[in-house]
Amino acid sequence: MLSADLLSYSVAGTLAVPHFLGEHDHPWIRVLLEEHERFIGRPQRELEARLRDPLPCESPPRKLKLAIQVLGRLRLRERKSAVPPRRARAHVFGEAARTSAPPQAILSKVATSLGVSVEELQDSLFGDLPGERLVAAPAQPLSAVELALRCNLVVVQGMLFRATVVRIEVEGNTRVLVRHAKWRGLICAVAERSGSASATLEISGPFALFRNTGLYGRALGELVPLLAWCPRFRLRAECVLHERRLTLQLATGDPIFPSSAPRRYDSLVEERFAREFRRLAPVWDVIREPEPIAAGGTLIFPDFALRHRSDPSREWLLEIVGFWTPDYVARKLALYRSARLPNLILCIDEGRNCAEGDLPSGARVVRYRRRVDAAAVLHVIESTPCSCYPSARPGTEFRCSRGLSLRRLPRADA
Amino acid sequence: MKLRFDRGTIVLTDPPKELDLVGAPGVRWDPRVHAHRAPASQYPALKRWLLHRGSRFQDIPPPARPTHELWSDVDLRPYQEAALSAWELGHRRGVVALPTGSGKTRLALAAMHRTRLSTLCLVPTRVLLDQWLREIGALYQGPVGCYGDGVRRWAPLTIATFESAYRHMDQLGDRFDLVIVDEVHHFGGGLRDETLEMTIADARLGLTATPSRDPGVAARLTELVGATVFELAVADLAGGFLASFDAITLYLDLVPEERTAYTSLAALFRSAHADFRQMVPNGSWADFTHYSARTPEGRRALSAWRQMRRLLAFTYAKRRTLESLLGRHRHSRVLIFTADNETAYAIAREHLVMPLTCDISRPERDDVLERFRRGDLRTLVSARVLNEGLDVPDADVAVVVGGALGEREHVQRVGRLLRPSEGKRAVVYELVTRNTIEVGQARRRRQGLVVRRSAQL
Repeated sequence: MLSADLLSYSVAGTLAVPHFLGEHDHPWIRVLLEEHERFIGRPQRELEARLRDPLPCESPPRKLKLAIQVLGRLRLRERKSAVPPRRARAHVFGEAARTSAPPQAILSKVATSLGVSVEELQDSLFGDLPGERLVAAPAQPLSAVELALRCNLVVVQGMLFRATVVRIEVEGNTRVLVRHAKWRGLICAVAERSGSASATLEISGPFALFRNTGLYGRALGELVPLLAWCPRFRLRAECVLHERRLTLQLATGDPIFPSSAPRRYDSLVEERFAREFRRLAPVWDVIREPEPIAAGGTLIFPDFALRHRSDPSREWLLEIVGFWTPDYVARKLALYRSARLPNLILCIDEGRNCAEGDLPSGARVVRYRRRVDAAAVLHVIESTPCSCYPSARPGTEFRCSRGLSLRRLPRADA
Repeated sequence: MKLRFDRGTIVLTDPPKELDLVGAPGVRWDPRVHAHRAPASQYPALKRWLLHRGSRFQDIPPPARPTHELWSDVDLRPYQEAALSAWELGHRRGVVALPTGSGKTRLALAAMHRTRLSTLCLVPTRVLLDQWLREIGALYQGPVGCYGDGVRRWAPLTIATFESAYRHMDQLGDRFDLVIVDEVHHFGGGLRDETLEMTIADARLGLTATPSRDPGVAARLTELVGATVFELAVADLAGGFLASFDAITLYLDLVPEERTAYTSLAALFRSAHADFRQMVPNGSWADFTHYSARTPEGRRALSAWRQMRRLLAFTYAKRRTLESLLGRHRHSRVLIFTADNETAYAIAREHLVMPLTCDISRPERDDVLERFRRGDLRTLVSARVLNEGLDVPDADVAVVVGGALGEREHVQRVGRLLRPSEGKRAVVYELVTRNTIEVGQARRRRQGLVVRRSAQL
C-alpha cells in the first residue's frame, strides 16, 4: 500500500482533496515514459538507478516518485538467459566451493560444461532476479493519460486504506459493489433512495466501530475501480490521514483508472441461458440485474427479468439456483417463499434435491442439469398469464438476501 | 444472550434487559447490525466481566485442542525452564527475550505441550514456516496446520506466516487459545498489530532476541502480548549454552578518490542536517527526511546520504580485506553480511559465493542451506535473509561488510554463529571504514551483545 508520504492532498475544512495528476502533469509523465522506453531490454536495476536522478524536465518530486512506483507495479519485466539461472548458480557456486581456482577459471570450466560462453553464463547467473530482469515494453502502449489515472487510483486507494467507512450513492451496478463488499468481509447497509435503481450503500469493516484497520481499509479501496462502471456515483469516506479525521469525496467523472469490466454473469450457466433465450425469443428482453425486490423486510437481487418488448406489463423474474451450499439455497428459497411473487421462475439444479415443500408456492420451477433449457422457460412464460411483481418502496427496512445486514438509511435528499 | 465471533470481533446478541453493557470491556453498540460488538482481543476480559455479574450466555464454541497423547516430552535447559515459569507466572502472557541459538522454538514447543492449548504460531517468513513445521512434526504426531506459502490448512496446532495470519485472522480468530509470536519485535507499531487484535486467544507468548527499546512500541506490545517476563543477552550464555566467539573489528581506510567523494557528499549532507538540527533540536531521522523531501536542497542532502551509504557499502579496502579473509578461512563455514542486496550480488559475482537474498526463491534457499549443511557450499552472502530465525547449520565465521539496521540486526547476525558444538569458537569480523559514519554505527550496534539484564522472576 502507498506510504503516507506519497499521499498527496490538501485540506479544506474537514475535506481531504486529493491532488490528482491531470493534463498539466502529462508532459513530465511523457518524459518518464520515454526514459522507461529507452531502457527496454536493459536490466531493471539500471532503470532504477537512472530514475533515482531527476528527469531532464520540471517534475513535482512527490508525484514523480508516485508515478515511478506505479510504473514499477506494472511489472514490465522479462527474463532472458542462456542457462536457467538456478542451474547456473548451482554449478558455478558449487564448483567454486570445490576448488581454489581463480573465479575466471571456474567460470570458463562451468561455461564449457554447460555449452555456453562465459558472458552468457555471467548474464544467466542472476538473470531471474528482479533487478537483473530486462525492462520490457507494455503489451499495450502506455500513455501519459493512463499512467496519470493509475496514479490517481493508487492515491485514492491509499486514502481509503486509512478509512473506516464509505458511503456511496450509486445508480446501476449496485450488485457488483455489494457482492465485492460481502466477499471482502465488509458490512454493507443498503437503502433505496427512490423507486429507481439508485441506492445508498454504507460500507465498513466490522472493526470500524473501534478504529480504522488496514485489513478492511484495503477492501474499501478495492471498491473504487468498480465505481467507474456505475453510470453515476458519489462517494464519501471517513479517513484518518496523518492523525486527522478527514472526509474524502469522489464523484462520477473523477479521473480514476477503472477496473476491468466486471463479470456480467455469475456463472457460465447464466451466460449461456441469456444467450440462448435471446436467440430463441427475440420479442422478450433479457434484463440482467433487475431492480431489487422487497421480500418480507428483505431485498432480493433476482438474476434476470424477462420483459415482453411490446407489452412491458408482461414481466417475469428468473432466478437460477445453482451449485451453492445447502444453507444458502435454503435461505434463498425461504426469502422467495416470503416474497410470494406471482411471476417467479426458479431454475433449480437437479443436483440440489430441493423438495417441493421447500419451493415458493406459485413459483414456476424449471429443473436443469448443466444448462437451463431456454425453450422450457419460454414455454412457461408464454403459457401462463402474468401479473407485475411488487417493487421495493423507498424507506423500507431491508435485510439482504446475500447474508449482508441492511437497514434503512436517511434518504440522501432528506 | 449469545456471544458470536464475527470477522475479528465478538458480537453479543439478545442481552437480558437488566444487563447494562455500557461498562463491559471493549463493548459498543453497533447500529449496523443492531447488536453489541467488541474487538475479539477483549473476549477474555468480556467473558470474565459477564461471569462476574452472573450473566448466563451461550459462549463461543471452545477451540478444538490437540491430542495430548500425541506429544513427546519436551526437555528444557535450566534457563528455558526459568523462562517458561516466568511466563506461567505472568498468567501466560508476556515476551521472552533470548539470544539467537538459545532455543526459543523449543521453549515455544514446551509451552504448547504443557498448556495443552490449541495454538497458533506466527512466524515472519515462509522459510521459518517450514522450519517450525519440521520442529513441531518431530515432537507432535498429530496433524499440524499451516497458513502461508499457498497453503491454508487448519489444525489445533497451526503455524502461519505473519502475512497469511493478517489476511485470515478474521476467519481464524476464534480457533485458538494460545498465540505464540516468533520475532515479536515486528509487532507493536504497525498493521500487523491488527492480527493480534482480531483473536480471542487469552494466552500469548512473544519470542525475540532483540526486544524493542522504544517505549511506545514496548507499551503497545505489553497491551497485545504482555510485558517482557524474561530476558537474557548473548553474553549471559556465551561459552556455556552458546558457543564462545571472538569479535574482531578491522578498521579500514578509503582510497583517495573515495575519500574525496565521501568528503564532499558528507559536507552536503551535514550542512542540511545541521540546519535541521538547529531548527528542530529533538527531531528524529524520520522528521529530517520528511522535512528534507520538501526542498531541493533537502532532497540533494538526502541523495548525498544515499550515495555515502552506497560508497561505504563495499569500498576498495573492504573488497581486498574480504578476499583475504575468505582465503584465510577457506575451510570454515563463512557467512558474509552486507548492508544491501546490491552489495551481496557484487560479492557473489566477484568471489563466486552463493547469495541468499529475498529474491532467491524458497525452494532454492532450502536447497542452498542443505548444501551448506553438507559442506558442498562453504560460504553464503546475504543482506537480510540470514538475519532472523533461519537455522543456519554450523557456521563459524561471520564477516560483517555492512549493516543498515543497527543493534538488533547485529545481535541476530552474530547469533547465527552461536549454535554450540564441541570445541567451537566462532569469529565475527566487522569491516569498519575509519573517519566515516560507520564508526559510530559499529559502536552502537555492538551494544546489543553485552549483558543487558538478568532474568526477571
